[in-house]
Amino acid sequence: MRTVGRADGWAKVTGRAAYAGDVRLPGMLYAALVRSPHPHARLLRVVKDAAWSVPGVCAVLTGEDVPYGTYGRRVRDMPVLAREVVRFAGERVAAVAAHSLQAAREAARRVEVHYEPLPAVLDPEEALRPDAPRVHEAAWRYPGAVVGPDDPPNLQSRRVWQYGEDVDAVLSRCPYVFDETYTIPAAHQGYLEPHACVAWWKPDGSVEVWASNKSPHRLRAQLAACLGVPADRVRVMPVYVGGDFGGKGSPMDVPVCVALSQATGRPVKLVVDYEEDLTAANPRHSAVVRVRLGVDGEGRMQALDVRAVVDGGAYAAFKPVEHVNLNGFAEAGNTYRIRAVRIESLIAYTNTVPRGHMRSPGSLEANFAVESTVDVAARALRLDPLEFRLRNVLRTGDRGTLGEPWMEVRGEEVARAALAALREGEGAGEESTADGGRWARGVGFAFYCRAAHGGETEVELRPQPDGSVVVRVPFPDQGGGQHTVVRNVVQRELALPAEAVWVQQADTEELGTDSGVGGSRVSLTASAAAAQACAQLRERLRQEGLEGWELRAALAELARRRPGESVRAQVKVDEELWMNSFCVQAARVRVDRDTGEVRVDELVTALDVAGVLNPPSHRAQVEGGVVMGLGSALCEEVVMEDGRVVSGNLHEYRLPSVSTLPRLRVVLVPGGRGWGPYGVKPVGEMTNVAVAAAVANAVADAVGVRVRRLPISAEAVYRAMQEAGR
Amino acid sequence: MSARTVELFVNGRRVQAPVEGAEFLAEFLRERLGLAGTKVGCGIGACGLCTVWMDGQVVSSCLVPAVVAAGRHVWTVEGLTDLAEGRVTDAPPGLPSPQLVQAVQRAFVQCEGLQCGICTPGQVWAVCALLSEEPRPSEERVREFLAGNLCRCTGYQGILRAVRQASEEWAPSEDP
Ligand code: FES
Ligand code: FES
Repeated sequence: MRTVGRADGWAKVTGRAAYAGDVRLPGMLYAALVRSPHPHARLLRVVKDAAWSVPGVCAVLTGEDVPYGTYGRRVRDMPVLAREVVRFAGERVAAVAAHSLQAAREAARRVEVHYEPLPAVLDPEEALRPDAPRVHEAAWRYPGAVVGPDDPPNLQSRRVWQYGEDVDAVLSRCPYVFDETYTIPAAHQGYLEPHACVAWWKPDGSVEVWASNKSPHRLRAQLAACLGVPADRVRVMPVYVGGDFGGKGSPMDVPVCVALSQATGRPVKLVVDYEEDLTAANPRHSAVVRVRLGVDGEGRMQALDVRAVVDGGAYAAFKPVEHVNLNGFAEAGNTYRIRAVRIESLIAYTNTVPRGHMRSPGSLEANFAVESTVDVAARALRLDPLEFRLRNVLRTGDRGTLGEPWMEVRGEEVARAALAALREGEGAGEESTADGGRWARGVGFAFYCRAAHGGETEVELRPQPDGSVVVRVPFPDQGGGQHTVVRNVVQRELALPAEAVWVQQADTEELGTDSGVGGSRVSLTASAAAAQACAQLRERLRQEGLEGWELRAALAELARRRPGESVRAQVKVDEELWMNSFCVQAARVRVDRDTGEVRVDELVTALDVAGVLNPPSHRAQVEGGVVMGLGSALCEEVVMEDGRVVSGNLHEYRLPSVSTLPRLRVVLVPGGRGWGPYGVKPVGEMTNVAVAAAVANAVADAVGVRVRRLPISAEAVYRAMQEAGR
Repeated sequence: MSARTVELFVNGRRVQAPVEGAEFLAEFLRERLGLAGTKVGCGIGACGLCTVWMDGQVVSSCLVPAVVAAGRHVWTVEGLTDLAEGRVTDAPPGLPSPQLVQAVQRAFVQCEGLQCGICTPGQVWAVCALLSEEPRPSEERVREFLAGNLCRCTGYQGILRAVRQASEEWAPSEDP
């Protein structure tokens, strides 16, 4: 039998699934934004007359007209509309609402803004120097700030992770120390739905919001804090989210949309252009990462020192974690046994687009730098890079690099599986080697290990008179398949056919708690909550004396006897799970010796898995991640010149297309120990991380040169070959 | 803004609505007619989200000025679904057959040809158009035909599996 497929599948193939930008309300107005062309400038004067002269215009707002506070996910440092000063090119300066989109755009074009350009700081290293121009006068005053008045100017966040012996002391005793520096540029999450929202400030003072946002409950709290109203006045309505990858977790333009609605008394829709999303949303941080790796005479890693200087852009508002840092850096070197580890991540404010999270934030940056360095070390020591990794790989029973008491580490098994798959594919699909020696071939590996974390969520089951069950969940399915996972669990626990289980997203008023889709945690908490709710439902049936009944008849009877009754289960996982998942990425590439062009022929991804709740969705998550990783490796960069993003749209910011893909091979290595009733391990952020390092290592294998900057362009490889005289 | 009225045929029905300035077909369909199944990503012809059918071929509706669509026959994903679900009585020649549309939609659902779904209406249209012309395309051909329909979520593997399944179902191979 064929699989039933995704729970949200039919809504999506028929075009019925509604996203934020699809909402249309009676009397709704359309919004457009005016953005700063300057990275840093004083706002002198805004002249609105010409904008008002466009027929159909209902509001023209500047910062002074907005009665709200600043906003942010943790640190509330971002103004709804700029006041007095603009801090990055692309910052919102004014907003217009009109009866049609065309009128709104025309009016926005006619808003006249006078600026006085100020000296801008565009580089994080420079920004941290004492004499650097300040992006914020007093960043420590913002609610949630993690810096103080004595910190270097422009410091946004600093974190240090260390464990074991003193790193410098151990490094000084190592016969081999590899000191390497890598650069990772800004990148866009690449979701294809640009940010969209509809907001309605209703006459009774309550606010309804439809937004391309993956964590509705957090959005509600963030909005309430910004608007200065109690959270129960804000209601976030369920809509599908058109891709997220870490980029759709903030209020983004919702506060300004609410301001326009409050000013006009009408619902307002604001959908930004893709250009605006690329240039002025919350792309991945750019980072320069220095790695020092000490190795002893037996080829064993002894010490690792990592220092990342990271560009956080003009605001910290888009980072959701406590220290507004990038926790992925803590993973540096975590696949190996290393006695002394020290990792520092310094994030600076600069006058560039504010940065946010992208799928496994910080992980790709750390992994590219460390796994490239590991390869450099292996080659210098004349060891096979895979053999060198296996000699040092962390094993079950070892403490992690930061002292983690992992319940298991399956690196070795996973690496062997990757190698076996790679050998099987050898030679397949390659064109003949009779190409005059133009193409050099190479193979590269990279290891990756990621910890799983908990979260909290709630699931509600409502029996229906026809014997089916409606399952209400507080989180959207932004594509990760969470609704399908929940459906499958309920189906399995109650032994119901798929068509008798309907998953719906509740709005924020209906269900109370959820930490949002993120950190790949939903499959953990939601599957546990769904299983618990099913047990409770069975218990209710027993109390009603219905346990002997055929289940659908029993559900129908319960719905008839107790109309509207439901059961709810909440799950909160706040302890550390000490569970990780291991991924070994291999890449087989060809490099054109004349031009430096890199072609990836095959990607083999081996992954440690435990229970898999929905194999097709699981596989799809793995594949989607790998292709995203390929984009980071080869083509994706948000290019900035003088602080302005110049990658204008998707013709310049190139995402991988189906026509240019290599062969993908996914090898699941079952038998891992997962968490919860189904023993699951998260997968969503596993496979996009290590592709870049694997490709860089394969290029080094092919032509003997090291590319230390992403993406790995033909020019960079060509230049490196020239310098190396190859 | 000066508005003029445009009249065209959408999903078999004659429609009239005002257009303003540089309004494109995608926006016209979504905002004037409320047919929000057609999505907009890049707005410049680089992603394929806005793919619709116009007079016999699939086009990027974000590139077609609404005034240029005057008098034309346009079919969106809503019309395609009507077709598949038997609500269209006099389909114009050249539209994909209802059985093909059913096979393609089913295959996308079953093969994880979608995740977030924002690219899906465009993908479904493109695949229906391809299989309608070439029931058994090679994988090379599929990749080339779908090159303009980006998908960030799936890594394309599920989409390729869906095309294979739909093609197999729609035009079963002769050999056993
Ligand atoms: S929106 Fe039309 S091609 Fe991207
Ligand atoms: S399913 Fe999300 S972009 Fe294709």
